[in-house]
Amino acid sequence: MLSVEGVGKRFGDLWVFRSISFELSAGDALIVLGRNGSGKSTLLKVIAGLASPSEGKVNLPDGDSRRTLGLSALDIHLYHNLTVKEHFALAAELRGVEPDWPILEQVGLQSRFNQLVGELSSGTKARLKIAIATAAKPQVLLLDEPGVSLDEAGREAVRQICEIQRTRGCLIVATNDPLERSLGTLELDLAS
Amino acid sequence: MNSTWQAEIGAVFRKELKTELRTKSGLFSSGLFSIIAVIAVALAGYGERIDPTMGAGLFWVTLLFSAMISLPRAFVSEEEAGTGDQLRLLARPHAVFWGKALFNMLLMAATSVVLSVMFVVFTNLKVDHLLLFALSLAGGCVALAISVTLCGALVAQATNRSALAGVIGIPLLLPFVAMGVGALRVSLGSGSVNSGLISCGGLYAFALLMGAAAPNLYAAIWKG
Repeated sequence: MLSVEGVGKRFGDLWVFRSISFELSAGDALIVLGRNGSGKSTLLKVIAGLASPSEGKVNLPDGDSRRTLGLSALDIHLYHNLTVKEHFALAAELRGVEPDWPILEQVGLQSRFNQLVGELSSGTKARLKIAIATAAKPQVLLLDEPGVSLDEAGREAVRQICEIQRTRGCLIVATNDPLERSLGTLELDLAS
Repeated sequence: MNSTWQAEIGAVFRKELKTELRTKSGLFSSGLFSIIAVIAVALAGYGERIDPTMGAGLFWVTLLFSAMISLPRAFVSEEEAGTGDQLRLLARPHAVFWGKALFNMLLMAATSVVLSVMFVVFTNLKVDHLLLFALSLAGGCVALAISVTLCGALVAQATNRSALAGVIGIPLLLPFVAMGVGALRVSLGSGSVNSGLISCGGLYAFALLMGAAAPNLYAAIWKG
C-alpha cells in the first residue's frame, strides 16, 4: 500500500538520510525514530509529496492524494483568521468530501466551533490538525510528533483516533515520542 | 459529493475574502496608497486641469502600485504564515490560483472604482468616452489581478522575494500597462477612438493569454 524505495534527501552537500526502504500495508503503524535533525519530519514530507526526494521513490496508494493521505505536522500551520468550523469545512471543500463533524467532537473541539483558530492554545491547534488530517478517512496517515503540546486527555483522544483509523485499514507513519511509540507496531531508526 | 472546480475555487475565494474582511490589510494598504497618491497629484496640479495623457499615466501608475502593494500578499502571506503546505496538501493548484486571482480581481475592482471617483473629483479629469473608460478599466483590472497574482505565486517560495518580484514583474506588467495607458488616454479625450479600442482589445487579449498561461505555470511550480 505504501512503499518507500531507496529514498534519500540531500540539502546542498549534506545528506540528511539515504537509502531508506520499507513497505507498509493496511493497518500497519511505523514509528520513525531518530535524534533532532536526523530527518524524521523531512521523511514524512517526502512521503507526503511536499518535498522531492534526492534519490529513490515513494509509491502511494492509488487515488487522489488529497483524500488518500493525511498529514499532521508541527511546521504546517493553520489559518488563524478562520474559525474552527470554517477551517474544517474549508479542508473538506478543497478535498471534495462532506465535513466529518463527529471527528471534531472526538478530539474535544465541540465547544470551539466558532472560535478563531488564532485564539486557540497550541494543544487545541494540534487537535484540530489531527482532525483535519483524518477527516477524509485517508489510507495513509502521517503524524509528525502528534503528542507535542497535547495534555493527557489529548493524547488519549489521539490514541483512540489512531486505533479507529488502523482498524478501518489506514496505515500510520509517526515520528518519535512516547505517545507514538506506544501506537506503533514497527520501528525505523534513522540513526542506524 | 464529488469535488468540482467551482466548489474548490469558491472555497479558496471565500477563505481569502473572510481573511481580508477580518484583517483588512489589503484594503487598508492599497486604499491608503491610492488616497495619498491622488491627493499628491491634485496638489501638484492645483487649480489646473491635468493633460489627459499625463492623467492616464498617473492613474495607471497609482493603480499599478496599489496592486503591487496588496495583491502579491495572497501567496506570500501563505508562505510567511506557514500555511502553504496545508494548501498544497488539501487543494489543487488551478483551484488555488483561480480562487486567489478572483479575490484579487474583486480587490482591484474596488480600488479602481475608488480611484476613478477620486481622480475625477480631485484632479478635474474629464471622461469623454465613459464606455471606453469602463471597458479599459475592467480589462486592466483583470489583466493586472492575474499578472500580479502570478508574480506573487512565483516569488512566494523564494528567499529574496523583492528582487525576484522586480525581475519577473517588469516584463510581465509593462506591455499591458502601456495598453492600459493608451486606452485610458483616449477615454479622457486625447487621440482617436480607434486607437483606444485597439489598446482596449489588446488589454483583453493579454488578460486572456495570462488567464490561460498563469494557472498552468503555477501548477508547474506547485510542489517545487
